[in-house]
Amino acid sequence: MSNKPQDGRIWINGLETNLTGKTLSHLDMADIKRETPPIRVLPDVWVVKVGGQSVMDRGRDAVFPIIEELVKANEAGVRFIMGVGGGTRARHAYAMALDLGLPTAALAKIGASIPIQNARMLQMLTAKDNGIMVYHDDFEKLPLYLQTGCIPIISGMPPFEFWEKAPNVGRLPQNRTDAGLYLLSEFLGAKGMIYIKDEDGLYTADPKTHPDATYIPETTAKELLDSGQDDLVVERVVLQYMMRAEHMREIQIINGTTPGNVTKALNGEIVGTVIRA
Amino acid sequence: MTSSTTEDGRVHVESGLMRESLVSKSLNEATESGRVRPMVPDVKFIAIGGQSIMDRGASAVLPLVDMIVELNQTYKLIIGVGGGARARHTFSIGLDLGLPIGGLARIMGGVEEQNRDMLQFLLAPHGGITFVKDHLQDLQMFLKGNLIPVCIGQPPYHFYEPPPEHGALPENGSDTGLFLMAELMGADQMIYVKDVDGLYREDPDVNPDAEFIAEATAADVTSWELADLPLERNLLECVENARLVQTIHLVNGLKPETIKMALEGQPVGTKIRSSRNRGAA
Repeated sequence: MSNKPQDGRIWINGLETNLTGKTLSHLDMADIKRETPPIRVLPDVWVVKVGGQSVMDRGRDAVFPIIEELVKANEAGVRFIMGVGGGTRARHAYAMALDLGLPTAALAKIGASIPIQNARMLQMLTAKDNGIMVYHDDFEKLPLYLQTGCIPIISGMPPFEFWEKAPNVGRLPQNRTDAGLYLLSEFLGAKGMIYIKDEDGLYTADPKTHPDATYIPETTAKELLDSGQDDLVVERVVLQYMMRAEHMREIQIINGTTPGNVTKALNGEIVGTVIRA
Repeated sequence: MTSSTTEDGRVHVESGLMRESLVSKSLNEATESGRVRPMVPDVKFIAIGGQSIMDRGASAVLPLVDMIVELNQTYKLIIGVGGGARARHTFSIGLDLGLPIGGLARIMGGVEEQNRDMLQFLLAPHGGITFVKDHLQDLQMFLKGNLIPVCIGQPPYHFYEPPPEHGALPENGSDTGLFLMAELMGADQMIYVKDVDGLYREDPDVNPDAEFIAEATAADVTSWELADLPLERNLLECVENARLVQTIHLVNGLKPETIKMALEGQPVGTKIRSSRNRGAA
């Protein structure tokens, strides 16, 4: 080993690369392109999100039939990771934290507890069918779990917690469970990202409060972001991330309360709204 | 006392956000506010550059350590540190291997932990301890014990690092991660310690007459599109959006007394502040 001082810094042979000595903030860094596309970490695996407010909060009537379809798909050899959202208890906690004057980062930390409760409920319900709890630090063991026929169940919240950035407007954390599972699917280079909710997909307004809203079977992330629509079926940041993503350029939102939809979606069929980058 | 309601088939806990889509723009606008509560407001956060300071070894690091020990007599300090040359090597190899953005972000912390451990070792005789994310809520215990917590900067986005807007590298680095911690604390001061006196309108190595910037808004610095910046570009957006830490301070760690001057409120280095004044009560 030879130490050769350079610009007053300590170097060893072999440490130098094309990035050596540069600040990563240099405008040149924006021009760095990948010579090859990134690898796909788990290309044969779906990421499926079970909605918090839309599914879990409906209780047995909604949850049991969806789980049944997911378990059957797993037994048939379809591999997927089951993520879950928070729902109404997360909203209550956010409402309290806002009232108490807490910042976005504290809301993100507090919000993370509810999807974990939901994930544990789903794990108890699917334990006899190989459902297992998986945490962010367990990701590197996913191949083992999937190989042995398990259904990995995770909280949808990304691990940002106290590091969640303040948004431009308001104090709600922008990266919640839709975003967390989307980013997971993008990292994995997964087979697809399916959101199971209680509506057939996307409408021009929230169909629960606007019965005259029109159904949108297919659209693009850009159209949705440009539409100025007040409400969206999926977290806004997901659409922004999709437009810069390497792999996950398409997501599907399906109605899990319609029997057969989950099974069909995991067979690659389109049964809800498809959003493309 | 809250109650629950079920008429739409969902069991809701009644709250201001009940049944609301948290995606709604108007709802998000309704949650805007001025000042928020700080978590640990009386700390001074000191962010030490990886490439700019640590990679210089003893000649830069040891005088800085002496200064930190001296300042700890007067102030409650948190020390954060970045990666440097090994971080760049990691990126370079990782990109060549085709690792996805979340994969690159996941492995970055490793080299920062090495820098943290080196600093912690040097500070240990004077109360230096490692400060990891799972102990963030224990911070007061460390500070009340007059200890010097030393942490890494990389935010724990790990496999969930969002795809970058520009380029192929994770955009949330140690400058950004440490700022997010300081903003959560509502730190009294946030000081970035690098190897330059501050910001210039042009590269002072190219143009010795380049204008020095003593103070500017983050929005202005962004709009200048300087070819190089001693701070992460993402950090500027975080400063703009801040409610508590609305000013950051950039000083030269090769002149450790500049840190003391900054803490004493003397004019030194460059101050970058938010133009939004979002923290107005």
